[in-house]
Amino acid sequence: MARYFENGAGQLVADALSGFARAHADLVRYDAADGFVTARHTAPARRVGLLSGGGSGHEPLHAGYVGTGMLDGACPGRVFASPHNRQIFRASRAVARPGGVLHIVKNYTGDRINFGIAAERLADAGIACARVLVDDDLATDSEDIAAGRRGTGATVLLEKVLGAAADTGMGLDGLVELGTGLAGRCRTLAVASAAHHAPATGEPAFVLPPGELEYGVGIHGERAARTREQATVGELVEEMTDALLKALRPGSQDSVVALVNGLGSVTSLELYGVFGELGRVLDARGVRLARHLVGDYVTALDMRGFSLTLMAADRATLDFYDAPVHTPALRW
Amino acid sequence: MTSSAFDGERTRDWAGRFAESVYATEAELTALDQQAGDGDFGANLAAGVRAAGPLLDRVEASAGPAEYLGALATAFLDEVGGTSGPLFGLLFQAMGRAAGPGPELTTQALREGTAEGLAAIRRVGDASPGDKTLVDALAPAADALGAAGEAPPADALAAAAEEAWRGVRETASQAARMGRASYLGERATGVPDPGAVGIALFFSSAVGTVRSLAPRLGGD
Repeated sequence: MARYFENGAGQLVADALSGFARAHADLVRYDAADGFVTARHTAPARRVGLLSGGGSGHEPLHAGYVGTGMLDGACPGRVFASPHNRQIFRASRAVARPGGVLHIVKNYTGDRINFGIAAERLADAGIACARVLVDDDLATDSEDIAAGRRGTGATVLLEKVLGAAADTGMGLDGLVELGTGLAGRCRTLAVASAAHHAPATGEPAFVLPPGELEYGVGIHGERAARTREQATVGELVEEMTDALLKALRPGSQDSVVALVNGLGSVTSLELYGVFGELGRVLDARGVRLARHLVGDYVTALDMRGFSLTLMAADRATLDFYDAPVHTPALRW
Repeated sequence: MTSSAFDGERTRDWAGRFAESVYATEAELTALDQQAGDGDFGANLAAGVRAAGPLLDRVEASAGPAEYLGALATAFLDEVGGTSGPLFGLLFQAMGRAAGPGPELTTQALREGTAEGLAAIRRVGDASPGDKTLVDALAPAADALGAAGEAPPADALAAAAEEAWRGVRETASQAARMGRASYLGERATGVPDPGAVGIALFFSSAVGTVRSLAPRLGGD
């Protein structure tokens, strides 16, 4: 038996999307021909459609966040591969509102280019389009990395906040300013004790020596800049949290929103342990933890690892964060 | 060089010769891309012109240049995988838009459309001249059209093709900064950029069919 339960090579994504559409038929619509998911119900005040997308394998990102108060649409690509510009262009046309369409794009070359091509096509078609780039990964924060920081866990937080802002009738320029500012106030770090397995081969993306872990791993099996010896979860979370706080430097008026995110096959037992340690470190550093999420929100297939995302948030951001949301993967 | 009007029929013939040129050089393009990229560029370019075939056939005989360029754009944007092929689609889209509804492709429209296509590709791909990408053929072609003044369109395109090939030859000495070739660093030096070759093939096809890359890559 192969590692993945599937109907055949390359079938995982299409089969999952049909099942997803049926499971959440009250919230989303799936256009199988053009390969995108759209929300059934959107606030009437919303003037700008919100669209995201990227490779599959990160579920519930992105289709799981399509619904009321969050995304109007999502374009899933093949596993760990950018969606095609055609998908993005057609999904954009489907979700565009009188104020245009906002693309929320994780910073990967393929996603940037394909969303960019779609944006040029939208301009040609007379549809206003702008972009918020998510680049929160602290592990790729280096002047030597020309591509810039990768986009990871902060995507969920940005999609939530921007969705609430869009529901107030905010225009494209306002959303870009809000989202870009917020992206600058989010940082993430991820660690893994074992790689994901490639669906095509069933083989792990990399193998770690016993007793070691990847510190600063990506969500597509990219190796971290360093491999380090394992530590207690308390020591590990303290090191990660201090690195995030050092990069973010939350202001005295700010509190933080924390995302403790499983990367695919870390247990809930472990994630709550991580969250407990995170709370302890934030308390000790005098940083107010205003809101939190604990669970699998942005995964990397079946990677054994977790990520910590901190977002420095002012009162207005928290109000957007608290606004009601009803999507397959996020609801309050 | 003829100075007769560059109408819809001539634009259709240009697209047809572009397809012939791509098919004739696909194996050479693939060989280049295997040295500098992931080896799929020749196949992607061929997929584009293959997808364009039926769309071009469906354009009405009386149509102007914009409709043929639009058919090329749709085929490359919608039907080609990877990223280089769709970037060609952005060039064709911009050229079609600049061509406008009129019956003839003017040198002015070619100049505007190529410049806007170059700008769009640079916005999307974030590539500058010298990064060993298709920009290194398209930018000199756009410059040639910019300097063409009131020359007849066919003469202006011939000049653009010459400049594009010169740009292609220069990419052989450049180190890639973008795309898959960038991971190879110095190892890709000596090999011209396949995307740039594709751009030169396109402009060359305005005036003739290219049967082999070797004479064009070897020097003047």
